[in-house]
Amino acid sequence: MRVPPEMFRFTTGERAELYVAILHAFGEANERLETALGLDDVRARLRSVGWLDPLDDEDLTGALGSLRDWRLLDVTQNHAENYRTADEYERRNLQYSLTKRGEAALAGVVHAMGVLASTGALQTAVLDAIADRLGELVAQLGDPGVPDRRIFSTLVELEGHLEALRGNTKQFNGELQRLLRAEGADQETFREVKSATVAYLQEFTTNLEQRAHAIANRVELVEARGVALLHHRALVGAELPPTSGGDPAVAWSELRRARWEGLRAWFLPVDGGTPRVRQLFVVARRAIIALLQVLDRITESRRRSTSAAADFRELARWFAVAPAEEDLHLLWSTAFGLGSARHAHLAHPDPELVGSSARWVDAPPVEVSALLRSAGRTERFSRTGRVRDVAAVKAARAESARAERAALKAAWDRLDTGGGMRLSQFGRLDHEVLERLLDLLGRALTAAPDRHGVHRATTGDGRVEILLGPPEAHRGQAVLRTPRGVFTGPDYDVEIRTPGGRAARRPQGAAGGAATG
Amino acid sequence: MSNLANQLVIAEREEVARAIRLLLATPLIGAGAAPEAFDLVRRRREPVEKWFDYYCGWSLIVEPRLGYARLAKVRVATDPTRPARRHRTGRAPFDRRRYTLLCVVAAELLGVPVTTVGLLADRVVQASAVDPVLPPFDTSSRAERMAFVDALRLLESVGAVDVVDGATESFVDSADAKVLYRVDATLLMRLLAAPVGASQVAVTPGRSHTDEVPLRFTELLTRLSRERRYGDADEPVSEVQRNLRLRHSVFRKLVDDPVVHRDDLTPSELAYLESPTGGQLLRRAADQAGLLVEERAEGVMLIDPDGVATDSRFPDDSGNAKVAALLLLDVITAGEGQVAVEQLRTEADALLGRFPRWAKGYRGEDGATRLVADALDVLRAFGLVRLDGGVVRARPAATRYAVTRTSADDVEDES
Repeated sequence: MRVPPEMFRFTTGERAELYVAILHAFGEANERLETALGLDDVRARLRSVGWLDPLDDEDLTGALGSLRDWRLLDVTQNHAENYRTADEYERRNLQYSLTKRGEAALAGVVHAMGVLASTGALQTAVLDAIADRLGELVAQLGDPGVPDRRIFSTLVELEGHLEALRGNTKQFNGELQRLLRAEGADQETFREVKSATVAYLQEFTTNLEQRAHAIANRVELVEARGVALLHHRALVGAELPPTSGGDPAVAWSELRRARWEGLRAWFLPVDGGTPRVRQLFVVARRAIIALLQVLDRITESRRRSTSAAADFRELARWFAVAPAEEDLHLLWSTAFGLGSARHAHLAHPDPELVGSSARWVDAPPVEVSALLRSAGRTERFSRTGRVRDVAAVKAARAESARAERAALKAAWDRLDTGGGMRLSQFGRLDHEVLERLLDLLGRALTAAPDRHGVHRATTGDGRVEILLGPPEAHRGQAVLRTPRGVFTGPDYDVEIRTPGGRAARRPQGAAGGAATG
Repeated sequence: MSNLANQLVIAEREEVARAIRLLLATPLIGAGAAPEAFDLVRRRREPVEKWFDYYCGWSLIVEPRLGYARLAKVRVATDPTRPARRHRTGRAPFDRRRYTLLCVVAAELLGVPVTTVGLLADRVVQASAVDPVLPPFDTSSRAERMAFVDALRLLESVGAVDVVDGATESFVDSADAKVLYRVDATLLMRLLAAPVGASQVAVTPGRSHTDEVPLRFTELLTRLSRERRYGDADEPVSEVQRNLRLRHSVFRKLVDDPVVHRDDLTPSELAYLESPTGGQLLRRAADQAGLLVEERAEGVMLIDPDGVATDSRFPDDSGNAKVAALLLLDVITAGEGQVAVEQLRTEADALLGRFPRWAKGYRGEDGATRLVADALDVLRAFGLVRLDGGVVRARPAATRYAVTRTSADDVEDES
């Protein structure tokens, strides 16, 4: 699109308002079918379009001259009048009229102002109108009796509605995207606009599919009757005026074809692509979702943060007028609750010693560092004493673990039978060793016996194994003694094996040792 | 038979107790500032949450991903000695200007996810200008900028704003300083621990704040802390609510204050504490928190032998005032339990003579007066004395620091 140079020069510069007013005056005159204006006519018209500033002849002539230089106005000399004085001749001789370029420039400005002032809209009525006109065309094409003029006017109406659809949609989409981008200056109106837009879009998308489908159907019906026929009859009905530059019918038909393609692109693309109305649907749905999300966020943040912000503001006021210094700190602690607890750290070594009914004055005082009283500093025994010496604790734990393991090992060693023996042969045992033994016996007895009646079990770590045979019938009770008491039970045959067990050691010896030891 | 399980139980008990006390000392623990403490609270979150909820009715919110744990301490403060403090050497308490700015700044920050120090200052200027109660904020004054920075640094320290670029401190020198902040709006909102928002507590319409707030101040604090679960009226409606309210109000004092004398409690609170249930719960709560109970005829105190759940220690040598406080307390408890401030001044003079290396601040003409004032602040902060006109009275718990016969002899020997 190439705009002729200087076409819109008149819209800039300090005299732009005057230029626009003059062109506007010519436009108004043209509507009243006056095409040529003299100097005085221009002045009169200017007043009627609202130019009230004083304007001398010289300025007006200069402005007209500029417009003429930019080829927006033409000047002709009027010889048809009778001039009585030379002065009159000078004033009325020259007649100005709009050139084609001038008309276009004016139309451009008017359109621009219109776009700025207008808001786009999505109207289901327009879609219905398109469908209706298409339906009419189908009927009219099928009936040779219908005059071509009717077909022409229906086609023009159809194109008008399509144009409205395109223009409105374009503008509405622009506004929609701006709405999605904008982050609110005025949250309240912003929220209202958004929620209203959501409602509007929802309204529009309802039944959009059906309408689009109906239109596409009728487009097909028209085509079945022949678009060429349609255009031909419309051309005849159009009754084009003759012009100087060639046959207008060619350009006219070309334009009709382009418009028809536009219609198809919207509802029934030739190449089978996505119809634009379908994209409109997608855009609308996306916008609804986006807007709802934004609305959610706004309401959410409003509900939470505005009340919190209001709380902070109110607190600020309270702080500003609270009566005393101490009140400030009380308000701080109460509202924010960020302060520390406070406690004494010195305690009696044994708090149980003093009864709860004793008075403080009767109870012994806690031990305060004497050095603190005498020298103003503490030995820090209270503090360093409390800091845990991790190394020592670790060492102590390792030592106790080692001792525990050693005791365990000793117990196992003590129990290792080194072969089969009778339970009673253990005789005397340490209490801890007996506990181990009982643990093992318990494990063995809970395990199911094999077919020889032997119970077999291992400790949890699988390192110690016990085999427990049933006692022979004639045996008496096994009696085991420990420093803490006596254990009696059936005299099982026992074999206990430990890792690295004392296989060399004879079973009788072990038992005998235990019995005598 | 290993005692691993036992050791785990012991470790858990220790950790839970420590987490409780850490939260008592710092109700908002950030992962950035105190990673170990935060980790401990995060791991032991459940039992700790239960403990606070059951005994104190305080809710603990742990945000493992956002990296903070917030204990909402609800109570009407009665102790003015625990103010917000500036993040500077000396840790001076906030003044009126700083508190006011802190709130205005917090309100303005809520609206923006990211901001710079200059933009924020502009917003505070505007917000202060349109509010009839707030004093105007003047960025051209260095003192004002300093106060503004102190307020911001407090918010920084709790993690409500994050410095992305620059240093807040630079704003003190020039209002053109470039500092970029990221705002954590959720955390900002959680800074308010009171269950009722200040904006909900309407100051009577038509009367100006200037007139009304000072008159109703104590009532306003009470209304900020009103919790619905104890019943709406002043009298709780059911027995359950009554008990809940008593338990919570008693324990809030016990776990937060250095000593609770019997006359600090209402008759029903006292009855609750002295009931078998109350006594049992007290011991159990203390045990779970790793605190010791000291119960006497005149009151109760929970003692933290590790000094974790406290902002300050006494007796301690971390300052001349604390040492003086201990020595002056000896004087106060030695007599009838009450002594004139005038007399303490004489004692303070003697102390300054005895400790020639004490701070310069206490030298000079009214150094002794200042020393006495600071020392009395320490003692009041630990609930050990009461100041009544020109007379200082020891409270019963003060005698637990009295000089024993032997250590008194030691002192006499050495001095």
